[in-house]
Amino acid sequence: MLYVVLFFLIFSLYLYVVLGGADYGAGIVELFSSEENQKITKKTIYRVMGPVWEANHIWIIILIVILWIAFPAYYNILVVNLHIPLTIILLGVTLRGVAFVFRHYDAVIDNSQKLYDAMFKVSSLITPIFLGMVFGGLISGEIRLTEDVSTLTFYEAFVRPWCNIFSILVGLFFAALCAFLSSVLLIGESESGKENIYVRKATIATIVVFVMGLITFIYGYANESTFVKGFIMDPYAIGAMVISGLILIPLWITIKRGRRVLSRLFAGLQVFLILLAAFVSHFPNIIITDTHSVSLLDNIAPDSVINVLGISLIIGGAVILPGLFHLLKSFKMIKILEQHNNPSV
Amino acid sequence: MENLDAARLQMAFTLIFHIVFACIGMVMPFFMVVSHYKWLKTKDQTYLTLTKAWQKGVAIFFVTGAVSGTALSFELGLLWPEFMKHAGPIIGMPFSLEGAAFFVEAIALGFYLYGWNKLPEKFHWFTGVIIGLSGVASGILVVAANGWMNSPSGFDYIDGQFLNIDPVQAMLNPAWFTQALHMTLAAFTATGFAVAGIHAYQVFKGRRVKLHTKAFKIAITFGAIAAILQPISGDISAKDIAERQPVKLAAMEAHYNTEKGAPLYIGGIVNPETQEVKYKLAIPGMLSFLAFGDFDAEVKGLNDFPEDERPNVPIVHYAFQTMVGIGGILMLAGLVYFISLKRKKWFTNNKYWLLFVLLAPLGFIALEAGWIVTEVGRQPWIIHKIMRTKDAVTPMPGIVFSFYTYVVVYVTLSIAVTWLMIRQIKVLNAKNN
Repeated sequence: MLYVVLFFLIFSLYLYVVLGGADYGAGIVELFSSEENQKITKKTIYRVMGPVWEANHIWIIILIVILWIAFPAYYNILVVNLHIPLTIILLGVTLRGVAFVFRHYDAVIDNSQKLYDAMFKVSSLITPIFLGMVFGGLISGEIRLTEDVSTLTFYEAFVRPWCNIFSILVGLFFAALCAFLSSVLLIGESESGKENIYVRKATIATIVVFVMGLITFIYGYANESTFVKGFIMDPYAIGAMVISGLILIPLWITIKRGRRVLSRLFAGLQVFLILLAAFVSHFPNIIITDTHSVSLLDNIAPDSVINVLGISLIIGGAVILPGLFHLLKSFKMIKILEQHNNPSV
Repeated sequence: MENLDAARLQMAFTLIFHIVFACIGMVMPFFMVVSHYKWLKTKDQTYLTLTKAWQKGVAIFFVTGAVSGTALSFELGLLWPEFMKHAGPIIGMPFSLEGAAFFVEAIALGFYLYGWNKLPEKFHWFTGVIIGLSGVASGILVVAANGWMNSPSGFDYIDGQFLNIDPVQAMLNPAWFTQALHMTLAAFTATGFAVAGIHAYQVFKGRRVKLHTKAFKIAITFGAIAAILQPISGDISAKDIAERQPVKLAAMEAHYNTEKGAPLYIGGIVNPETQEVKYKLAIPGMLSFLAFGDFDAEVKGLNDFPEDERPNVPIVHYAFQTMVGIGGILMLAGLVYFISLKRKKWFTNNKYWLLFVLLAPLGFIALEAGWIVTEVGRQPWIIHKIMRTKDAVTPMPGIVFSFYTYVVVYVTLSIAVTWLMIRQIKVLNAKNN
């Protein structure tokens, strides 16, 4: 059952990164658009994300719940040492969520729209940066574990774990990844004639993702980061990264040819490979502290808990996934069926 | 401010807001689907207008409820890491099921909001029903987790270790049913009266009387039925608390000395120093009867418990009195509504509408008071008799700053949501019939 739970943990993380990431990315794309394109993007985002945007964000709740039920010791480090960025993420999620609804459901369209738009765009950028910083913090080696926190300064215990250059680089990398995912998604959803806006965004995002990834690695390598060293030594991780890079070629061919389903699948696959590479190089030692690595599997919940959780997840998955798929399909997020009927799409 | 106090205040503050948003988000879908059903049946355009107006309210409240709920799921760990480290695996089951229910709700909401003229009529309506049912399921599951804090079960506590964990038994703890029943009825009462009150105000002001009267009737029917049933659930709860958390019962009643045939105090001002309750109305033997079904039963007083295991008596007592008092008023108001259905003349009397305008906020005040009884009444324990709240708080100093931030954000949010609702109603009233 532990494997079922681990599967759902990684599956939720992956879906949150892909679906939630595309959702954040939409705000980032809007932020970095000209005024006219912002209007188009706002409309497109509403049409594309509207029906599914809440569902996109539930994955993080599933993720957190799995962590606290099955991996309490791991979760404890997360919530104690990374309290500050997690609080900022919460504020970001809150402001972004309400801004999205306010700007589309306010009965009167007036100047307050500007405020909602600003809230939406800014929190769309800040939230994924801090999410990335949290992940970066877990692997940066800056977390100091101690029995008694009072032996450390506030900075050492609660700030340095996430507020360090490596974590910030990971944060920026993740935000760029979100923008990349979103632009690829939006290409296929834009009104005809407007695709080029998003093709350009996708190009820029691809370059930024690549450059940010490279800088993060070079910085990590130069500073002898345990994570980067482990990554480079792991043939599977390197293999996954190479394939992920190679996928850029078919990705861009499919974008150019307007095959939106295939291009999305390639983009999703790319993110999957990046996550996979990060996981395999260190699994299960997913927290790297100043002295040692903490295994995800340290002090896990007893079997009775894992078994019940596993069964709940299987049942929950059986109910939710078909429903979610149907929702995505109903609102034409998944064009696979359409493509079967019309091979030229 | 000490860290523990700041953490408790932040938790209390975010819960107070979340509960309002979540209850409205949970109950309003029912009003919406009833109106929708009437539209499908009668094809009366007013019902369609109403359904669409309520649907916007549902969307706004669903989201504010959802984001404040997400914040809470993190805050449990951020503020009480020591609690979550041990309790997380034990009470994870209701939370994971709640996650699933919430997911179903979000999916159904996606279908409902965007499904107009796209989905088959009946299926579209049915997705609205799913929103309501999964919302109620979420509420019940979260309350079940809270019930566990009041009646911890499903594990053995040996030498500070939580062993032999049985998550199913923990979820189905002795308090889950009474608490969930009481809370669900409270949510329907509070939301029913609040929504009804808003529409009553519009009728009172003579704006779109036909539409708002229909809206009022739908909302108040739910509220009135729930308010009339609530005393039964309150009685079950009281008996349950008397048995499992006698110290909480004693604090609710500001009952200091153990006695047989204990009187029920109504109102009164508590003086914790002299252990007296002044200006109260005492009904002899009634507390014994309410708690144990026997006028002569012995009720344990606060003095029978160690001093460091007693909650803040005045707060719990006042909150309890407020809850019960309002509960009584709303029950009577519910009866007034059902009588008015027979005496249609009342509907033309503006005083009738004014009455329901004044009642609008009461349900939520009672609901918050009820949570204060539950939560403050459990102190100093975070897990009753197992873990103290002070031992669960985060080691990170400076929580007071995060508390202030939350106050600013949530107060702003509440003002914003209220403002949006006023705009919705204005636009609704300005539309042609």
